[in-house]
Amino acid sequence: MTRVAIRSALLVALLLASVAVAQLPSAHNEVVIKNAVVMTVTHGNISNGSVYIKDGKIAAVGKEVNAPSSATVIDAGGKYVTPGLIDSHSHIALDDDVNEATSPITPQMMMIDAFDYQDKAIYRVLAGGVTTSLLLHGSANMIGGQAVVIKHKYGLNRDAMLFPGAPQSIKFASGENPKRVYGSRDQLPSTRMGNFEVQREALVQAQDYMREWDDYNAKLKRGDKDATPPKRDLKMEALADVLRGKLLVQIHCYRADELLTEMAMAKEFGYKLRAFHHALEAYKVADQLAANGIGIATFSDWWGYKQEAWDAIPWNAVICMRKGVRVAIKSDSDDFARRLNQEAGKTIHYGGATEEEALKMITLNAAWIIGVDDRVGSIDVGKDADLVIWDGYPLSSYGVPNKVFIDGDVYFDRSLPRFGMPHYREGE
Amino acid sequence: MRRQVLGWLQVVCFGFCACIPIFAQQKPIVLRGGRLLTVSHGVIEHGVIVMEGGKITVVATEGSAAVPKNARVIDVSGMTVYPGLIDSETNLGLTEISAEEMTNDLVEISEEIMPHMHVYDAFHAESELIPVTRLNGVTNAIVAPQNKDTLPGQDSFVQLAGRSAQEMLLIRDIAMPLNFTGDQRRNIPRDKRKYPSTRMGMAAQLRQAFLDAQDYQQHWADYEKKKNDAAKTEDKDKKPPTQPKRDLKLEALIPYLQGKKPIVLAAEEASDLEAAVNLAHEFNLKFVLNHVSHSQPVLDYVAQLNVPVIVGPIYEAPKAFERYDTVYSLPGQLNKRGVKIVFASFDAHNARNLPYQAGFATAFGLPYDEALKAITLNAAEIWGVADKLGSLDAGKTANVVVANGDPLDVRTDVKQVFIAGQEIPMVSRQMRLRDQYWGQ
Repeated sequence: MTRVAIRSALLVALLLASVAVAQLPSAHNEVVIKNAVVMTVTHGNISNGSVYIKDGKIAAVGKEVNAPSSATVIDAGGKYVTPGLIDSHSHIALDDDVNEATSPITPQMMMIDAFDYQDKAIYRVLAGGVTTSLLLHGSANMIGGQAVVIKHKYGLNRDAMLFPGAPQSIKFASGENPKRVYGSRDQLPSTRMGNFEVQREALVQAQDYMREWDDYNAKLKRGDKDATPPKRDLKMEALADVLRGKLLVQIHCYRADELLTEMAMAKEFGYKLRAFHHALEAYKVADQLAANGIGIATFSDWWGYKQEAWDAIPWNAVICMRKGVRVAIKSDSDDFARRLNQEAGKTIHYGGATEEEALKMITLNAAWIIGVDDRVGSIDVGKDADLVIWDGYPLSSYGVPNKVFIDGDVYFDRSLPRFGMPHYREGE
Repeated sequence: MRRQVLGWLQVVCFGFCACIPIFAQQKPIVLRGGRLLTVSHGVIEHGVIVMEGGKITVVATEGSAAVPKNARVIDVSGMTVYPGLIDSETNLGLTEISAEEMTNDLVEISEEIMPHMHVYDAFHAESELIPVTRLNGVTNAIVAPQNKDTLPGQDSFVQLAGRSAQEMLLIRDIAMPLNFTGDQRRNIPRDKRKYPSTRMGMAAQLRQAFLDAQDYQQHWADYEKKKNDAAKTEDKDKKPPTQPKRDLKLEALIPYLQGKKPIVLAAEEASDLEAAVNLAHEFNLKFVLNHVSHSQPVLDYVAQLNVPVIVGPIYEAPKAFERYDTVYSLPGQLNKRGVKIVFASFDAHNARNLPYQAGFATAFGLPYDEALKAITLNAAEIWGVADKLGSLDAGKTANVVVANGDPLDVRTDVKQVFIAGQEIPMVSRQMRLRDQYWGQ
């Protein structure tokens, strides 16, 4: 193509896109998606159902919805509608800044400082139906840092992509990765003993730090004017937040014995664990996880890539679920994140999850792990209108998003030319 | 030289035929009532298949054909029956745990030109990955060395069942990969780069290797001629010619220079593809294309080459300026242009997911029948085994899969696999672990 041809093609694309934008609902419009099979996740499927969206929230869902005639109507033509998918373990949009692998304990690292909101991976994952992702640190460090929760509003600015009010998660790791990273440099830790020792050591220091601050605050409360504040230490402050239960603790952990050790350490220091990630041997200790209310974010069938993934079995998700563990299927991959629906579909194959159970693993359960299950993850009145209209059956090899809504607004539409993104301008 | 080539061919034939008598089906088996996806001649509802002596002997509508009296009859009503799937590139048998180097025999990286590496010398028949893979209906695979060299060695075609590598290696040295993706450059780390650190270097080195092999071939031809002449002559005083020294590396290239076996020509970018194809043409190499993942601008050119393409993997990320489905739609785009395509997992642990890639491609324009063909009959044709594999037809090897639904769908559970008529035990290390812990 000549440069002129390219430019005119671009112009046409832009023109088409802007026409499409004019017709598309915006967050403050009222929209009705009708004639859909609505997979609510919480209360079954509604065939020939409708979803009424008002001010970015789900205002009604059912066979019939009471919406004003002024609402924009989208006829789904019998297609499936699911909640926006949720990836509870992602490393997209972080460039090479996933690990501050210069020290095994770096809880003060804030992922938000590395968040590359222009990364096209956010778009490609959006096109796979994912509307919310938890961007986590890598697993080089025993304690990596604090995560970011995003909504995939590609084309908007950085702050507009952050999930408002999402709780703060912190990423712990264990096992082979920290061992390998530091062991290869002849540093501590190079064994699992070393791994847990550096973690315990850091938590002990944090207890001291927390005590100093508690003493100081107590003095202030008593009206002690001579009280001098202890020196602030970001690392210790972050760990104190763990001990105070202010952060959701997400732990990268494979082997069953390490799952138990992490649980014992949490008990020892009095903090709660939100979820084990990867957790490929969780099926061996599922009862203990269930009893402690700890979720897992796992792969459907990945295995054998390292020693601690050797006992991975594709029935892990369903076994754990049947034993009462809250299970999410996550990507941990720029690739899988684009087809989480297929990964969830595999749990129907391996272990016989029901359709609703499979879908829950990439919606409501993932939302719970991130701590946003009161906001997203199912099609219920009052929740954010994060929805996907699917071409094909979503939990199959053939499910492909046709339209993706976030907060009631269309961010991806397969039928649009070029990128299919109403809010994205090329070249900006 | 000629005798050697003949020798190889004998090995090839022996390798394929040998499996049947050793890995033998004991009793005829009849599968009745299933939905047969024959691949070669459509779908037969309520069909019947007879497997006898390791081969398919009957494929018909139930009731329309006689079945052997002594057969074991299995009712597969409600099930879908299809030919064993063929994965056109794997590293099966060359790796066990990726990060554990001692379990890997994937590629020799000391040099770039290693055509004399034979995967059959490393193929580990007892690999735990093999039962895992066949439990999802994959019965045959190409085993290739990893693509870190331009010429990493020669592929073998295997059957994923048998008591030994001998039984499983159906065709040794079936093809030779030639990788030209840029990943074969020796430019990392930057301060330790060595030749070839650029694509120019890669091409020059390849060209020299093929020239050397041509030269070597000529030396041997001259020698054979002189030897024959000497045998004919009456002159007893004339000294016999000196036999040239054998060079395994150059010798390995000769069947490919002679066009007797295919090169698997791997490139991703359009520019690499054209460079690699030019090189192949320069030496009259017979080739199939591999990957072409980022060659969207030249798909018409690919079609004009009139060679099959091992496509993908389609999960390869598109470039930043490309639409999300640029690579997903590649199989459909090639098929539309009349190119014969096959899928490959390009993997070992995840080879079991081969059918899902084919299924996913149908969501981006590849017709369903073509998707199924791309992991069965097309693959059999490309690898020269279509007389034995790739469809449900009488006379073919009885590699048959019974599943509870659509073979290309992630939800489908494979219930039984037959390889050469043998009812394969549906167990793997993973299943043993499952049973050990589930139901406690």
